[in-house]
This record gives sequence, C-alpha cells and structure tokens, in this order.
Amino acid sequence: MSHATPGHVSLDPKFAPTFPQAALIMLRNPQLRKNVAHAIDVIQAKRGKLVVEKTDWQELRSAASEIRFHVLDNLGAYLEQFEARCTAAGGHVHWAADAAEARQIILDLLREENATEVIKIKTMTSAEIQLNPFLQAAGVSVYETDLAEIILQLGDEDPSHIVVPALHINRSQVREIFARTMGLKNLSDDPKELTNAARTYLRQKFLTVPTAISGANFLVAETGTVAVVESEGNGRMCLTLPRTMISLVGIEKVLPRFQDLEVMLQLLARSATGERMNPYTSLWSGVTPGDGPQRFHVVLLDNGRSSILAKTKERQTLKCIRCAACMNTCPVYRQTGGHAYGSVYPGPIGAILTPQLMQMKHAQTLPYASSLCGACYEVCPVKINIPEVLLELRSQVVNQERKQAGRFFDPMYLGLRVANLIFATAWGFHAAQRMGRIGSRFFTRKDGWIHALPSIGGKWTQTRDLRGLPKQTFHQWWAERAKGGK
Amino acid sequence: MNQPVQSRQLTLDRIRAATPSAAKDSSQLAAAYAALPRAYIRHGSLTAQARVELMIQRLREYDAEVVECTPAELPDAITAQLAASGRHRFVAPSGAPPEWMVTSAWKITGLEWTLDHGLDIDEIEKAEGVVTAATCGIADSGTIVLHHSATEGRRVLTLLPDYYLCILRAGQIVETLPEYFNRCQQPPALATYISGPSATADIEMTRIKGVHGPRILVVIVVRDN
Repeated sequence: MSHATPGHVSLDPKFAPTFPQAALIMLRNPQLRKNVAHAIDVIQAKRGKLVVEKTDWQELRSAASEIRFHVLDNLGAYLEQFEARCTAAGGHVHWAADAAEARQIILDLLREENATEVIKIKTMTSAEIQLNPFLQAAGVSVYETDLAEIILQLGDEDPSHIVVPALHINRSQVREIFARTMGLKNLSDDPKELTNAARTYLRQKFLTVPTAISGANFLVAETGTVAVVESEGNGRMCLTLPRTMISLVGIEKVLPRFQDLEVMLQLLARSATGERMNPYTSLWSGVTPGDGPQRFHVVLLDNGRSSILAKTKERQTLKCIRCAACMNTCPVYRQTGGHAYGSVYPGPIGAILTPQLMQMKHAQTLPYASSLCGACYEVCPVKINIPEVLLELRSQVVNQERKQAGRFFDPMYLGLRVANLIFATAWGFHAAQRMGRIGSRFFTRKDGWIHALPSIGGKWTQTRDLRGLPKQTFHQWWAERAKGGK
Repeated sequence: MNQPVQSRQLTLDRIRAATPSAAKDSSQLAAAYAALPRAYIRHGSLTAQARVELMIQRLREYDAEVVECTPAELPDAITAQLAASGRHRFVAPSGAPPEWMVTSAWKITGLEWTLDHGLDIDEIEKAEGVVTAATCGIADSGTIVLHHSATEGRRVLTLLPDYYLCILRAGQIVETLPEYFNRCQQPPALATYISGPSATADIEMTRIKGVHGPRILVVIVVRDN
C-alpha cells in the first residue's frame, strides 16, 4: 500500500501526520510553494475573467445548489432510477458499501475478463479507495493515462490537487521523471516535448489494453447516462477502445435529468480550469452496439457517504462536483499545498470531507486548517457553505476531546471554563479587562505590541505579535463621550 | 456475488434512513423537481449573424481553424482545407454524403478516402485525418456537439486521426448551452462535446495542444441559403 512506501507523504488519514506537522514540512519547501503558487495564480486569473463574463453566474450557482440538494433529499429514488435505466441500456450496476467491497468487486470483474493490465482515466474515487496498490498487489498492472497522473505514477509521487494533481511538480522535475522512467536521455524540459513523450508512451497501451477503469463526473437518473469531463482525450481513448469499461462512482454523483447537465457543465469547467468548456465531455448510457466497450459496469460507492447524508449541516458536503475552486482560492492551501492535508482530498473541501469519510479521530486537525475567511464558500459553484461545516466539525472535535477524562485539567479546557465563568456576567468581564490591562503592561513594549508572552500564551506569540490592550475600553470611551454632551 | 446484493439493500436502507423528507412517490418527486429555481439565462439574445460570429470567434480562441462557405461551395471548401493540410489519407463516417469526398477538384489528386463501414482500429489509426458532420454548435462556449449519427461517425473515428475537419451548418448553431439541451428532448445514447483541440495544462499550467485526441481542429461553417 502506498502509505507503507518509505519517504512518502501519507495520504491515508489513518497514518498521515496531523495538519500542523505536515504543513510545517511543506512550508520549509520553497520549490514546492513556488510551484503551487504559480499554478494557482494561473488558474485563478483565468477563472476570474470567465466568471465576470457570465452575467447569470449567481443564478447558475443557485440552480446548481438546489438541484444538488434535491438529489440528496431523494437520493434513494434517483439511484434506483439510474440503476434501472443503465441496466436497460445494457450496463451492469454494482453496489459497494465500503472501500474494501468496491476494490473486491472491481478485482472480480477484472478476473472475469482475465485482465492482467488496465488503463485508467483519472478518478479521485479510486484514489479514495486506494485501488491502484490493491490491483497491483493482485497482479494487475495499472496504467494511469491522464498526463498529471502519469507524472505521479512514474515519479512515485502523491497527488496534491483534485483537478491538476501534479501542480506541485515543475517542468524540470517532470523532465527528470520522464527521462529516468521512459529512458529518454535527451528529453528537454519543454512542456510540449514532455507532453509528446507521454502521448507516445501511452498510444500502444490505448490500442491494446482491453479493460479500462474510470470515475464519473455525473450520472443521470432519467437516462442512465454517465458523464466524464476531461481535456486530453485520454478519457475518450479509454471510453472507446477497450472492450470492457468499469466506472467507479460515489453515490452522490447522480443528477435527476439529462437537462440538468446544462447547469453543471456551465459551472464546472469555468470553476475548475478557467475554461468556457473543457475540450472533451463524453456521455454514454449502457452499451451501444458497434461503438465503444461492449461490457460496461458501474460500481456505486457509499464508503461513508450515507452517514454524511444523515447529518443536517454536513449533508451539503455531498453537493460537491469536485471542481477544486475552493483549494485554488484558499489562502491556507496556497501556502501548504495539498500533501499537508494527509488525504487524497485536500483544500477546504478535503478539510470537511476527509474527517467525515474517515473516522474523525484520524483527521482531527483538518477542520482547523482554515482561517474561516469564507473565500471557498464564495467561489463554490454549488454553494457549499464550507466554513459552516468546518465550525460544526470543530465543535465535534472539541466535544469528543472534552469527554476524555485526562482533558479535564488540560490548561486550554481549564482556561475556557474560567473564561466561560468570567464572560457570563458584565462585572466579571469588566474586572477581567482591568486586570488584563494591568497584567499585560509588563509585556507590552514601547511600540504598543506584545512580542512575547510567558507559558501557554507563548504558543500564540511564537508565530505572531499581539497588540497591547488600549488604555481605555470602548465602553469607557463611549461613556465619557456621552458625558461630554456630544 | 452474494455480498454486493446485500450491499445494495444495505446502502439503500442507509440512504432512506438518512432522508426522511424524501418524496413519497414519483408525482411528489416530479413536483419537487419542477419547483427547482432556474433563473439563469436559457435563451440567447443575439441575431443569427452575431451567433455565428460568436461561434467562430470562440473556436478561434481555442486555436481551431474556421472557414465559412455556402452549401454550393462546400465540396470545394473541404478539398481546399484537406489540400492545405498536406495530408492524404482520410476517413469519413459511413453516412457521409458522396459530394464531400472530392478527389479531383482544383486539380488536386491523391486524396484517399475510406468510409467507416466497420473499419479496424488499426485502419482508423493509419488515417491522417477525418471529416464528419455535427449535431449542434454552442456559440457561448465554442462547443461542437456530436451525437454520433451516421454522418458524425462512431466515437473513435473523431479521436484517433490527428486532423479533424468538422462541418457545421449555421442553422445548427445555438447561442447558449440550455438552448442545445432544449433541442434534445430525446436525450442521445452517446454524445461527445468538443471544445477546441485536445489539450493539457498539467505541466506548470502551460496549455499544450494535442495530447491524445486530434491536434488540429478545422471547422467549416456552412451558411444557410
């Protein structure tokens, strides 16, 4: 399994270090930060222009948000409808309650095909269930076909973004990986030449490997349609050349009707890559004689999604269409990159999705990986109120911690209980302010700032300065002003 | 496989338990769906001429080559484009009209045509270019829609050759994506939406044309009579 590889950043929340620990490593890597910032600046600039040009952007967001909520409200009915239509069109639908079951279903299907090789379209869901290491261990060679995924696979690297997963790797690093693994000593670091190398490397695989695995951007209940949105054409290759196709899809990805794509497709590419439309979108229902794979399977994956569905505030997490706009705009992601999140889902959406998909104990620090600035909510094309969910998860983390007996005398909880008492009454609060002013005088320098606090307060001043308390509170100033008769 | 059968029921039970406010029957579900807000722009406001111009502009922004012609000029326009491409071996879908496949106009010889009556993948791979019709053009995003009819060809046909010439009638061009969806009251079993040549920006966000799909996209817009 990938997490066992020495020297790897673990993207399995069960084994990953906490966010602050992992973030510190990233912050000390200037090359990585430069690569991430550059990629994000480019996407953000393109997205910004296209969103401004779309005069009905907010109306599209509202429609998308309501469609997704409606689907989640009626998920059972729509999934059954999808299953019936897909089956009628010649597809086979499988249900996987968890990751282990999904992996086994896919392996069994591959064994039925006597498959020793499989080509893959980029899918986050397969990364979520750690499909590749499982298949490799079972003797199936897995070939990723998205350029970024090839870079990661050949370089034995981990994805750090859900749309451009290799954005932390620059051209000279790609050149090094390709030159080494493809045996191309004279390769230059020109992106065009690197892309050509990947094209040549994969062409034979596309033409000969008879089984493929994909994810899906959307399922359509009305028609049993599966939608894959992509840029390079590797998706179309996998969707048309092999004889068997297996699509692994989260249960939340369904849309009611074919027409609903008119909303989602206008939002997705603009939000994800800053394009009016991605180069290729493929839609198919079941099997079409004479065109594309003649055996088609959909594996519907729950893996924790139904438990998110059951929670009022958290349910909106499942509206996500995986565009990555939230991570592109996030000031925290910009500094740390994706690996610090210890999950295949990084950034703000990862900070709320990972703790919910996994047991919270494995991802306790993620809800804190945010300044709560709200930028993610503002750009989200389906209006997921990420800060609201972050706060809800924080309160769950705290409630979990509080129950631990050892935490009773923890200075933080002790302090918060005292604060609770003080803030409960006006006189208590005023008394504390007076004492605070007197006490903080010893630490406030001439410039009006506190640069270092002792004991637990030092945790704050370690990384930032604190403004000294003013001589007068607003209350006092207001009272004096009133007396002055102004 | 026994386990997955149980998993189906288990998953659906979990979902049902998690969604107590789900519609009770299909008419309630349809009513809830009909009540969803759709205040976004559904119908464009451009004149027919401006619509075509926008489509052409968007295609050019994707680095596609675009030319216009009248229906009568189409065979010559096709020939001129193919000649300019410097390629010789072309494939076309089984339903392609014979008048597209001119071999001698403008005294150009050596254009070789094969119709896709179940060609092997290798034969398509050997072709240097492909010519097809389309179902629709969406001006707002410069998107070409294929529903893979007999004149549009099966999906692989417009994928393997490095050069793709698409013939789009002006009357097929709509302004907005919702207008296209409004036109397909019968959703297609297969569809491909193409917006510019195959591309990637995976290396330092530098846009590179042509990864696996056709590197060159040429569109002939045929004006209505």
